[in-house]
Amino acid sequence: MGSHFAELSVFLDRIGRLFIGFLASIGSLTLFSIKAIWAGITPPYYWKQILQQAVQIGYFSLPVVGMTALFTGMAMTLQCYAGFSEFTAENAIPSVVMIAMTRELGPVLAALMVAGRLGASMTAEIGTMKVTEQIDALTTLSVNSYKYLVFPRILTGTFLVPFLVLIDDIIGILGGYLVGVYYLNFNAANYIRNTLESMVTWDIVSGLIKGAVFGFVICLMGCYQGYFSKGGAEGVGRATTNSVVTSSIMILLLDGILTFALF
Amino acid sequence: MEYVIEVENLSKSFGSKEVLQGISMKIGRGESYVVIGGSGSGKSVLVKCILGLIEPTSGVIKINGQDVAKLSQKELFKTRLKCGVLYQGGALFDSLNVIENVSFGLIYGLQVPQKEAYKIALEKLEAVDLDETVAKLYPSELSGGMSKRVALARAIATDPDIIFFDEPTTGLDPITSGIINDLIVRCTKEMGISAVSITHDINSLKHISDRVGLLFKGKIIWEGTNKELLATDNPYVVQFINGNAEGPFTTQG
Repeated sequence: MGSHFAELSVFLDRIGRLFIGFLASIGSLTLFSIKAIWAGITPPYYWKQILQQAVQIGYFSLPVVGMTALFTGMAMTLQCYAGFSEFTAENAIPSVVMIAMTRELGPVLAALMVAGRLGASMTAEIGTMKVTEQIDALTTLSVNSYKYLVFPRILTGTFLVPFLVLIDDIIGILGGYLVGVYYLNFNAANYIRNTLESMVTWDIVSGLIKGAVFGFVICLMGCYQGYFSKGGAEGVGRATTNSVVTSSIMILLLDGILTFALF
Repeated sequence: MEYVIEVENLSKSFGSKEVLQGISMKIGRGESYVVIGGSGSGKSVLVKCILGLIEPTSGVIKINGQDVAKLSQKELFKTRLKCGVLYQGGALFDSLNVIENVSFGLIYGLQVPQKEAYKIALEKLEAVDLDETVAKLYPSELSGGMSKRVALARAIATDPDIIFFDEPTTGLDPITSGIINDLIVRCTKEMGISAVSITHDINSLKHISDRVGLLFKGKIIWEGTNKELLATDNPYVVQFINGNAEGPFTTQG
């Protein structure tokens, strides 16, 4: 009997530790974001850093995000055709592609690609700066590292991932059009009309809201993991993996929550 | 004597580990103070506490007579601009070229216009025997000695009162080490800057120090002038200076 209690106590102890660890991480992440935002909204403003990050996020991510969207839109149209043609419901394909891209696939795919491309590079860059004392150097040169490194990334991530989502939506729908019209021989005018008829502003806006939340989370996690990485190259590698894995899980988790909230 | 740094009863613990135990030291204007000690003796933690990069557990740190714990964030930033730091690995910003690195504190810390900051940066590069041909190079294109010089130029760019040197000659060949030592002496003697250095390099120590403190297990166990260091029969100092395997460091470490 006593050994059962001992086992139960060890089990509860582990759960308790995990829970406290989880709460501590949430607290530390919240403090980190508050510090970054507070540092960023008080002068002086580092416009050059903000512009550099904007180019990185908004411009250099376009090819990878665009390509993913194009092929997803194409594949989805084909898959839908396979199922819908059994019920002679092919006319619904443009609407389904439109809704799926704007509400769900656009924001999630764009965010996952940005997490892989930018979240990882942010963690690696800031982590390397941390372990080579460059962040200490910033501080001793009287520059707030939150203002110089973290805020520009979070700001541009929050505002430019929605822009990428919009591009993703357009290219994804275009991919669907190409397969529908040139491969499945849909009437081009009908396809466009069906797509436009099913276009609802709120679908697009809700996708953009998701994009903003995902952008914030990706950049926050990317900076946070880098900022607190330790232990040389191995530590930076570990932080980079953590950053991408955590961001990706958070994207999918928040996607579920936001879909319910914005439905 | 006017002191630029005064440390009183400084302690720092990480969890249950006491890294610094009640350290007191004073560094005069224009003086070059060198902290020596084995690995893990707390040298880097001491310097990071003085710079405000680590918060001490207890004790008082005064820079130019001001208690740093009582300063506002803005005042602390101003005080930090009076302190230059030469980091062990240089800590040059990888994404910026040499001139941008050297002028960084001027532009972002002191809000000096870029054109003027670049002019000052070139003067500082000349002060460390580099010219404008390196200005557009990136840190990855520099040799170890050149990186240290650029980092030194960056440290003196804001005309600091105090410079901290973290193992300035580690990883350099003897000749380059000698050049860096000369530059450190030039900073203290010609520019009147006070210096706090951490080093393991005995040659460098003899060359650059006015006064030396030996740190062991978080306490300064010996302090004296450069001349006293070479004359003392303190067993800790003798073992450290001669690099003996046997002695109090090994028996008590």
